[in-house]
Amino acid sequence: MNTEKNSYTVIFSIVMVMVVGSVLAFLASALRPRIDENERFEKQQNILYAMGINENTPDSGVNFIPTDVVEGEFGKYIKEQYVLVNGEMVADDQAFLVDMKKQLSSLKDGGEARLPIFIGEKEGKKSYILPMHGKGLWDAIWGFMAVDENMVIQGVYFDHKAETAGLGANIKMRFFMDDFQGESLLNGGSYEGVVVSKTNNDPLNQDKEDNAVDAIAGATITGNGVSAMIKETLKVYRPYLDNIRTN
Amino acid sequence: MALLSKKDANLILDPLADNNPITIQVLGICSALAITAELKASIVMSISVIFVMGIGNVVISLLRNVIPSKIRIIVQLIVVATLVIVVDQVLKAYAYDLSKTLSVFVGLIITNCIIMGRFEAFALGNGVWRSFLDGIGNALGYGVILIIVGFFRELLGSGTLFGIPVLGDPIAKTGLYSIGYENNGFMIIPPAALIVVGVIIWVQRSRNRALIEEA
Amino acid sequence: MLEHVELFFKSIFIDNMVFAVFLGMCSYLAVSKKVSTAVGLGAAVIFVLGVTVPLNWLLDQYLLRDGALAWLGPEYADYNLGFLSFILFIATIATMVQLVEIVVEKFSPALYNSLGIFLPLIAVNCAILGGSLFMQAREIPSLGLALNYGISSGIGWFLAILAIAAIREKIRYSNVPAPLRGLGITFIITGLMGIGFQSFGGMLTGDNEPPETPAATTAETTDKKEIKEEIEKDEKAISYNDAINE
Repeated sequence: MNTEKNSYTVIFSIVMVMVVGSVLAFLASALRPRIDENERFEKQQNILYAMGINENTPDSGVNFIPTDVVEGEFGKYIKEQYVLVNGEMVADDQAFLVDMKKQLSSLKDGGEARLPIFIGEKEGKKSYILPMHGKGLWDAIWGFMAVDENMVIQGVYFDHKAETAGLGANIKMRFFMDDFQGESLLNGGSYEGVVVSKTNNDPLNQDKEDNAVDAIAGATITGNGVSAMIKETLKVYRPYLDNIRTN
Repeated sequence: MALLSKKDANLILDPLADNNPITIQVLGICSALAITAELKASIVMSISVIFVMGIGNVVISLLRNVIPSKIRIIVQLIVVATLVIVVDQVLKAYAYDLSKTLSVFVGLIITNCIIMGRFEAFALGNGVWRSFLDGIGNALGYGVILIIVGFFRELLGSGTLFGIPVLGDPIAKTGLYSIGYENNGFMIIPPAALIVVGVIIWVQRSRNRALIEEA
Repeated sequence: MLEHVELFFKSIFIDNMVFAVFLGMCSYLAVSKKVSTAVGLGAAVIFVLGVTVPLNWLLDQYLLRDGALAWLGPEYADYNLGFLSFILFIATIATMVQLVEIVVEKFSPALYNSLGIFLPLIAVNCAILGGSLFMQAREIPSLGLALNYGISSGIGWFLAILAIAAIREKIRYSNVPAPLRGLGITFIITGLMGIGFQSFGGMLTGDNEPPETPAATTAETTDKKEIKEEIEKDEKAISYNDAINE
């Protein structure tokens, strides 16, 4: 067989493209339902994690509640789900499926956005859970932040697409996320957020009023991304947060 | 190794030492730098590369007589990329937690020149069984270096192994830290990996002087 | 205009492909023994990056990203072909490289003799795919900027290989311990250069405290426009500003 002829090359490439294309397309469509389901469970786990519903023990790593019970637990703890459209609250029990990235970029283009809000209740205490989305060093970072009506953080969950293992990737480790608990988002009357700081001289994180947590050494850009992400979340949700505080 | 003839066994053993893909053939450096700040990530990456190289070498070897040489690079790249994407999608559906750990490496595996390098240098000209052994051997040789580098960088840079503190607590000053030891923050930035690999080359060539380059 | 200048210098120095993100190391280490060959390979990398990044930008914009197929009609707006990006990007790169090889060989044998042998090496140079993936991840907004990004990243890679080749030519006259000669000392020098290049990161990230935002009083509600402007300001500050310091 002469593999050097042009016609053979063309036929070979057409066959290859068709084989590869159909394998990938078949896989993508056959697996889509399962992947979607996994992603749904993960989002529910993350939201519950942020409000403190998880299986962490004092020295353990990050332990979500198991996937087989997450749907039930989610219904139990998350009392209300809304989307914020033009400042109006619209009840929507699928709010947790909203893609935050799309909403933020649509807002940036001056369009409409549907911003999800989850109201959870744990042991009689209400928390308001806001999704976040931003950029780290290599790619997207995202997460959830649970606050109470005094704008004190109840818990956070961060995740990332491709931050550097051992450095930026550590934003999803407990030692980093736990530092946010109890931090106040307010400074005086303004929404200061919480910055990831290299210079706050508070490595044990005892000062909860300094609007800062200790940074991860070697992960400057990812840390800055987290700070910016929190600030942006506060900005887009501000009308709503004002509302909770005055009530 | 009764299973393998001596020649076949060398296909696996050579890349572990005297023909190591990283320290001798200069292949697969980028990923060795990017992910070795932690031992665990190094091991996950090594296992993925063993898997992709074993299968990839077999596929290329099977196709070696039908691939037109003009477009062989495209074909090789597409085989790797397809393999990786298939694995990624299947894991996402059936082992979601594992896929989250691995997804970071998907891009790094596709662009890993060790895979392309072995396709081009070996699988295109050899039979299926030998190509398979060559793939596994080179991936193991690559993994060994990754794990050594990951071990030293995590130990010296963060004082931990697999995320577990082994030298004491740097903040509470226990263990080694109580006598004034400090973590070396330099070890966790990527340039430190280059220096660690440089030292590994130094050690290896001191032990086997036949590998020393003529300046 | 200013953003072009900023992106240009950022890509060369702060986000340097070799010293900051450590991509394209294999050919960088293997083909840096002589300055003349290093120049040839470097020029080829600039060219290929300059062609493939804009091409892949078009692919990303009109085919791959979420909702990119909207131009075909509203019923296609929901497709997200993102999972194909790797394979399409790499196919573009490999096709371009082989196309260039064929064209150069046919029309300029002299150039082919000096550059040709490097072309297959480039297809496996992860700096090239890295360029396209960074372009996608950082959401570079326009075709012009994508072209700029491709060319300036290439120049950064060119500078790096030129520098190490020059050092290697000189170091031959130094008394390096025999086992370190060649590859070993090159690794260590590159590590030291990388640490040096980290200081460029300080040009944009030295001050890690984000700028003070004007204190917002809680009583007034912000209208949408103001929010939008503030977001844009912040985005600008971080977008492709991700000077590598990790």
